Amino acid sequence: MADAIQKKLKAEVEKYTQMQKDVSKSVSARQKLETQLTENNIVKEELDLLDGTNTVYKLIGPVLVKQDLDEAKATVTKRLEYINGEIQRYEALLKEMEKKSEQHREVLSSLQQEFQKAQGLAVGKV
Amino acid sequence: MAEKGKMNIDHLGGVVRLREEHQKVVKDCESRIQHWKKVSGDYEALNERLQTLPDQLCYDIMVPFGPLAFMPGKLVHTNEVTALLGDNWFAKCSAKQAQKLVNHRMKYVKSELDDLNKTMKNFEDRVGFVKNLETMSTTKGDYVDIREEAENNDTVVAKGKPRIAHKPNSKPKLDAVLDLKEEDEEDEGKGRDGGSTKGVVTEEELWARLDELEKLEELQDEQYRLSDNADMNGEDTSSFSSEEEKEGDAAPPVNGLSLKPSWTSLPHSKAPPSVDRNEEEYDEEEEGSCLPTIFFSHTVEPKKVRINTGKNTTLKFSERKEQKEHSKRKKKNGHNNGHSHHELHKITTPADIYRLFVDVKNGEPIPRKSILKSRSRENSVCSDTSESSAADFEERRMMGRSFSHDEATHSDTSDGITEEDSPTAVPLHPASRFEAFSGTVVEKDPMPSAVPHLTIAPPALPTILERKQEEVAPDAPPPQQAPKRVSKFKAARLQQK
Repeated sequence: MADAIQKKLKAEVEKYTQMQKDVSKSVSARQKLETQLTENNIVKEELDLLDGTNTVYKLIGPVLVKQDLDEAKATVTKRLEYINGEIQRYEALLKEMEKKSEQHREVLSSLQQEFQKAQGLAVGKV
Repeated sequence: MAEKGKMNIDHLGGVVRLREEHQKVVKDCESRIQHWKKVSGDYEALNERLQTLPDQLCYDIMVPFGPLAFMPGKLVHTNEVTALLGDNWFAKCSAKQAQKLVNHRMKYVKSELDDLNKTMKNFEDRVGFVKNLETMSTTKGDYVDIREEAENNDTVVAKGKPRIAHKPNSKPKLDAVLDLKEEDEEDEGKGRDGGSTKGVVTEEELWARLDELEKLEELQDEQYRLSDNADMNGEDTSSFSSEEEKEGDAAPPVNGLSLKPSWTSLPHSKAPPSVDRNEEEYDEEEEGSCLPTIFFSHTVEPKKVRINTGKNTTLKFSERKEQKEHSKRKKKNGHNNGHSHHELHKITTPADIYRLFVDVKNGEPIPRKSILKSRSRENSVCSDTSESSAADFEERRMMGRSFSHDEATHSDTSDGITEEDSPTAVPLHPASRFEAFSGTVVEKDPMPSAVPHLTIAPPALPTILERKQEEVAPDAPPPQQAPKRVSKFKAARLQQK
């Protein structure tokens, strides 16, 4: 009985670690998005500073491609919105993952207790 | 102390870790600040370069060729700058426009720097506090953390009598009585009388309980008789008082039958609860009917002890007891024993206290501020008037409990008022000195009745116990036989039946 519990415990622990990894991944992705957000904000503002006389280029690969100023502004704005949406999505995902990991933690702790009892009593406990 | 030490250690561990965490944050902030400062420096340099670049049409420079080589060349179009706006966006602009861009970025960098600085300062302060806390808990420096164990409030030392909110149709007295009974049960194990606690029981149960307690009391009385004979009186009382105080503080106010040790509950500190808890020699089942009043017939202590019944008023035990007794007797006996005024003295609500304890001044009842303080020394059953002499005490005893009701709470200045009331009671008291049970508990009274009155301890004991020998004094009790000591409850009940 103790062995069975031990196996269960191990499985649960693995699941839990997996969950934790997912959570951390989400967190890092969200952080990247945050930096992009700030950057795009700065770009937008600087584009506002410029007027039509300057040419705007976009770097696509090794090539600088000429862009229209207005187009550039529009593109940057759209990108900003996209980034915001992504951030929200990631936040929701993160919350869910947290909840799940909490549940997992509880399950884990209860299993651990069982396991200890089983070991202590040396009696089969279901 | 060990506990405190341990707590300190735990606390200390936590505090240390807290401090370390704070310091980590501070270091992190520092590194970020460094980074931003560098960026800011770079931008400054760039600004300068942009400023000077358009000065010349072209410059002769050594152009870096790869990582290791340079080549002489010319820098042309000095005013044309292609600036990276971020996120793979470029803009061709003049040097001045580039400067504008740079300035704009500088603003952003500065704001970041400011934020970081604030955070760092914040955490540095926190580190300082935590350090202080650490030193406090470890070394007990100049500042000490004041800690108090949250005590179980059951044994609260409330100033006033613990009050129970009355439900619309509930009988508060019952509650009080029940409390006592319950406490009695608890204390029985310790040989103590139950004090006051909550408990609502039906009257039948109360009676049953009273019976139980009566029996217990009888047993205990026997013990007392055997043991108490010699000492008691003066020294004992004093010792008791001190004991009481200690014990009172420690244990629940219930004090029980055993005089000596059990007295504690009452010490003034516990006055309020004591009011509820009747320290009675006899069965303590609290008078079922009304306020728990404990009447002590303390052999030695003539003075009545002041009981804190809250709001700086202390109701003497004797008073309470008397009240209780009176009301109880009324209820049970159906006759007042000439204490017609007991009806009035029935106390059901706190307001009654003030109604009852009034000083009659010039024929007008003036409510006392404090029921503990009696105007007149002689009459004061409650107030612990150290001045009162033994003689006074005798007198008081005569006055009996009835006085206690009447005593309004005033400052200790003597008032003759209570005396006025007393006369009504006087006739009764002397006569019934030796009734079987007057409803008052005679503490460790080996010798029925007479003893307490005889031994009057010098007023020296200020606070102590509630024992009032006066209480013991005689109320005209129902005609239980003197030799047989029956609890007043039982007596009342018998009478009723």
